[in-house]
Amino acid sequence: MLLELARRNLERIKVRSILAIVGILIGVMAIGSIGIFGESLKAAVMKNFKDVVNQLNVYPNFQEGYTYIEQRDLRSIEKIELVESVTPIRSDSSLIVYREKKTYATVYALNDDFLKKNFKVEKGDINLKNGCVVGKLLADHLSLKVGSKIYLDNNECRVSAILENTGARFDINPNFAVIVSEDYFEKISNARINLVVVKVKSLENVEEVKSTIEKTINRKDERVVVFELKIIVERISEAFNQINLFLIAIASVSLLVAGVSILNVMLISTIERTKEIGVMRAIGAQRSTVMKIFLMEAMVLGLIGSTIGAILSIFGGILIDYALLKDFSYVFQLSTIFYVFLGILIGVTTSLLSGLYPAWKASKLEPIEALRYE
Amino acid sequence: MREVIVELKKVWKVFKTKYYEIHALRGIDLQIEKGEFLIVMGPSGSGKSTLLHLIGCLDKPTSGEVLIDGISTSKLSDSELTNLRRDKIGFIFQQYNLIPTLTVFENVELPMVLKGVSRDERKKRVSILLEMLGIKDTAQRRPNELSGGQQQRVAIARALANDPKILLCDEPTGNLDSRTGEQIIQKIKELNKKENVTVVLVTHNPSFKVFGDRVIYLRDGQIVDVT
Repeated sequence: MLLELARRNLERIKVRSILAIVGILIGVMAIGSIGIFGESLKAAVMKNFKDVVNQLNVYPNFQEGYTYIEQRDLRSIEKIELVESVTPIRSDSSLIVYREKKTYATVYALNDDFLKKNFKVEKGDINLKNGCVVGKLLADHLSLKVGSKIYLDNNECRVSAILENTGARFDINPNFAVIVSEDYFEKISNARINLVVVKVKSLENVEEVKSTIEKTINRKDERVVVFELKIIVERISEAFNQINLFLIAIASVSLLVAGVSILNVMLISTIERTKEIGVMRAIGAQRSTVMKIFLMEAMVLGLIGSTIGAILSIFGGILIDYALLKDFSYVFQLSTIFYVFLGILIGVTTSLLSGLYPAWKASKLEPIEALRYE
Repeated sequence: MREVIVELKKVWKVFKTKYYEIHALRGIDLQIEKGEFLIVMGPSGSGKSTLLHLIGCLDKPTSGEVLIDGISTSKLSDSELTNLRRDKIGFIFQQYNLIPTLTVFENVELPMVLKGVSRDERKKRVSILLEMLGIKDTAQRRPNELSGGQQQRVAIARALANDPKILLCDEPTGNLDSRTGEQIIQKIKELNKKENVTVVLVTHNPSFKVFGDRVIYLRDGQIVDVT
């Protein structure tokens, strides 16, 4: 019944209540949609790193004079149980000639599986037995097409596929490179393994595998350096979280304003209803009961405003995402829902906090004074 | 043996402001018996309302003692006074003072809600009270849809909700025409007789004196006459 009373009290001052609700609504919407946008931005960037979080790069330790990774070390990495796959990568620099154009580019020795798993093909089919694969930038630079015949240090090779532009990566960078089979690589270079890409079965074991590799190979000398890609991803994610927090803090200012308007509405209510409070107290309402009624009113305002604001924030998020990222599919993921609920939580909390002072003031009214009030 | 329900012992009430003191009550001694109909008369400013507020546990005396059903109010906390008001005292005001957002039914129900009476019991009690006061058909209306007489009946029903021992009436007919006022007083008298509820009624109207078992006159915070 007290909740019903609170509801009717708000209905009695309909216009004021609606304005207070609109204030909260705008604040919650600002927080929600900006939170959604921040999360979408993060998701859009993180999408590029999704495949590498369980990856370890093992490099020879150049600082200690090691320029390649030995076969026995490769085998000891392969023996580790928690490892999903181990890909040794050899690379060298080579002069690439196509018709009258020429350039230096990196040549990688890889297998079909690794290529298919890690890169997207723009044109042609990956088949290293019958031809080499070139990166997008190199292809553009030399005006290569599928089927073009190129020369790598005077060794002929036909382009079987052109890869899509991969963006920045932390292991190999095929954009300006030619990828050939192991056998072919032997013909043009005697370079040894200079990178081992290790994929760990599950994310929790990354640290463990890293330390196992270090322990077994670096027992005597620091022969290899193990680089954890998870760290990069974590740092980037952290940076985005901070940006998001900052954006939300700005959005929260609007909610602060809304809070002040609730405070105002409720203070006016307290004064207008002084006599009523006196009557309630006279017929046996405790101070706490009076306080409860006022807090309920603040909560009802907050809940209605926050709920509508939360729903609208999803639309707001779609709008901002579409305007800035040209893609609103990121709105519909679990982590953005968090920001919608965060908006509701902050909205209701703000309302309750704003209601606290008027409620306290109402509860402190002396019954006789209040009864005398006209 | 007669039972005393309200007892005032050398009660003083002083209101202090920044510049002066008002001695609203000056050493009042008064005993009210259970089931008594006491009328309090006196010019304005004589301390009638202050006396009513002290008996109604809305205020505490500056000195002296007020005993309600044997309980001294002086040492009670705000919360305990509130419970005493809720359980033992019913108020009827000149302005009716109904809660405008609640229906007649809910207004009468409110003191029971505050006491924590179960929904079923509340419903039963409200029906009985509305029936008793002849306003059953107004149950779902709001106070502003009622005449003054009807509103005062609702106020009486509300005052009786928790079956109080004492009914305090502060000029209950002040805003009513004389015929309706008379009906209200009749009703209060009837409740006094039937339910054996103690009534303290403050009024300016000398024609109501006939309803009282006793009439006390206040002037300048003192009882100057008893009839």
